Amino acid sequence: MALVSLRSCGRRGFHLGLSAYVTRPVGTPRKREQQDDTPVFQYVGQHRKPQGKVFVWGYTGALGIPSFVVPDSGRKKPRKYQLTPYHLDTEQKISSAACGYGFTLLASNSRDLTKLWGMGLKKDSQLGFQRTQHDRYKSYDYVLEASPVSLPLVNPQETRVLQVSCGRAHSLVLTDSEGVFSMGNNAYGQRGRKIVEDEVYRFVLQQYKSSVACGQDHSLFLTDRGSVNACGWGADGQTGLGYHNKASCPVPVGGDLAGVKVQQVATYGDCSLAVSTDGHVFGWGNSEYLQLASVTEATQISSPRLLALRGVGRGRQAACGVTQVAVLNEEGEVFVWGFGILGRGPKLSESAIPERLPATFFGRSESNPTVKVSSIRCGLNHFAAITDRGELFVWGKNMRGCLGIGKHDQYFPWRVTVPGHVTDVARGVDHMVALVRSII
Amino acid sequence: MHNYKSMKLMNFSEVTGPQFHKVHVGVGHRLDAFSSGVLVLGIGKGNGVLEHLCKSHVTRDYMLEGEFGKATDNFTHTGRVIEKTTYDHVTLDKLERVLAMIQGANQKALIMYSQVDLHTQEAYELAVRGLLYPHGKSPPILTGLRCIHFNPPHFTLEVQCVNETQKYLRKLIHEVGLELRTSAVCSGVRRTRDGPFKVENALTRQHWTAGSIIQAIAHFSKATRKIRKLEMYKQTAGQLNSNAQVQEQTRMCENLVKTYSKRLTSVIATKGYITKY
Repeated sequence: MALVSLRSCGRRGFHLGLSAYVTRPVGTPRKREQQDDTPVFQYVGQHRKPQGKVFVWGYTGALGIPSFVVPDSGRKKPRKYQLTPYHLDTEQKISSAACGYGFTLLASNSRDLTKLWGMGLKKDSQLGFQRTQHDRYKSYDYVLEASPVSLPLVNPQETRVLQVSCGRAHSLVLTDSEGVFSMGNNAYGQRGRKIVEDEVYRFVLQQYKSSVACGQDHSLFLTDRGSVNACGWGADGQTGLGYHNKASCPVPVGGDLAGVKVQQVATYGDCSLAVSTDGHVFGWGNSEYLQLASVTEATQISSPRLLALRGVGRGRQAACGVTQVAVLNEEGEVFVWGFGILGRGPKLSESAIPERLPATFFGRSESNPTVKVSSIRCGLNHFAAITDRGELFVWGKNMRGCLGIGKHDQYFPWRVTVPGHVTDVARGVDHMVALVRSII
Repeated sequence: MHNYKSMKLMNFSEVTGPQFHKVHVGVGHRLDAFSSGVLVLGIGKGNGVLEHLCKSHVTRDYMLEGEFGKATDNFTHTGRVIEKTTYDHVTLDKLERVLAMIQGANQKALIMYSQVDLHTQEAYELAVRGLLYPHGKSPPILTGLRCIHFNPPHFTLEVQCVNETQKYLRKLIHEVGLELRTSAVCSGVRRTRDGPFKVENALTRQHWTAGSIIQAIAHFSKATRKIRKLEMYKQTAGQLNSNAQVQEQTRMCENLVKTYSKRLTSVIATKGYITKY
């Protein structure tokens, strides 16, 4: 740059120091030959594609950034909470993420040998088994950095990981050709194998599944034919198998769901929802917080029932929290009900019928009349919604900064400032992971 | 010998009255030397109304002309070139994505600076109706932003904003360029609306005569009266504390301004109310 300025001042002679005293009228543009001397910088090529990034926030133990917990320089102090989105550097593009109770799993869609990374608590080996340096037969209790999780794949260079899901102390990994892998606590059979004392290893479920969902201590599997299988803790009927015992192997769920093609299952706590391909919503499990009050007055249903939701229309996606539920319909409108901070102000803390959230909260205005919500997720006591313009809105109880907007609770949907388009978000108890595509 | 011609009665100003009257002329929202467009002036008693116009947080419309490819020291195309960059990767799609992101951040700022406690039910009710507005001191906030014309390297944006300066708008063009990984300079700022005063009603240079000015003042007399009345209500509303009285004031004001324009809305928050044109 110094060379350039020397050339451009050449006409005035070698008087670099005096250029401050030379005055020019403000409106006069510079002469052509001086402009052509400046080099042209190229920051981005013509065919650059948007990149995928990962942003994390919430309780710092599970975020995968070791310097938050164990500072690497003397100036930094250990931080407990990360209240706003923080960029997490990953080696590969992450296609799926899931947050459990104090741990996180990130998966990439690639054919490389390392497809899965985990960080956070792993006392129940919910992130697989990593040998410690001191003892070959012991694993770490927690990992602060994203460490590769090895899967016992038959063809590690062909199989891709499609989806990951995490529950309280167990996780499920769905691959495209080798079925579902489960890791972690199996005290209630939630991993889908026979309960064995002092479990350490991983287990493979061989049937083909199209998606998995983890509840607190139970698991739901959705097959490509649209039927739902469940296993795990069933005291609240959340397995939907008609009884309240634990199930240690995946069993097809009946009730009103028999013969119905399901497109999506959702569960988080002890209540489960399923949305069929023709837009009907089915629910089973815990109903203490009026989640299933439209069909029953009892506190639990152990078998799926069709929920008659007035005013909702065709459902597209459902999301369950512990005490609240949300449904997204085909027009992109969000309906919430249950107990807790539902998103309609501090007055509405309990509702048995679906309440619609006004679209003005999600950015709909005179200049943008067609903004719709494209997906919805539910954490422990909070909600997250992604609009079709790539903006992330959160509301609910802000436990340890999990909303990403500061410290306070949020009573109506509020934007999370992330530099890019949010494509997916994984919600946990007290932390969240957002998969973001950069703008350019 | 006296010069009788010079002693004619009509030469004395005590007889005919002064040739020129002194009138105070005040300027509303300023427009700097680089920009053009609507400039609201107040004459005589109208200066008081100007003050109310400034306080009432009206939005203003601008057309911004931009050019990709260079960055200058004062964000205009006449400044000293600091850097030149390529811009062949910029498409309308990417520009609109960047504008959407900027608009999202500004909508968040609209609510944050509204000085209403967000944990109350009243804040929720106002937010549902889209009536939360910045009150008092706030940084420049854009309420609307879109791209009108795109022909690389030139492009035109239309913005609606509150509390802005023209230098901020030129810097906005520069920042749009940065987000697109290139650089941009502003080649023109033109204000097309300042509150209820639109560019169609503005007087151009050849109409700066007494007749046209008087006509224009008469045309806007209704709007001026409204601004004065709204400010009066604002002052009285600030002294009231109870919710019921405040609601009654809201209804009275709403009836008053309904006749003016469909887009005029008013709300009373705990401290005063905000007018949006």
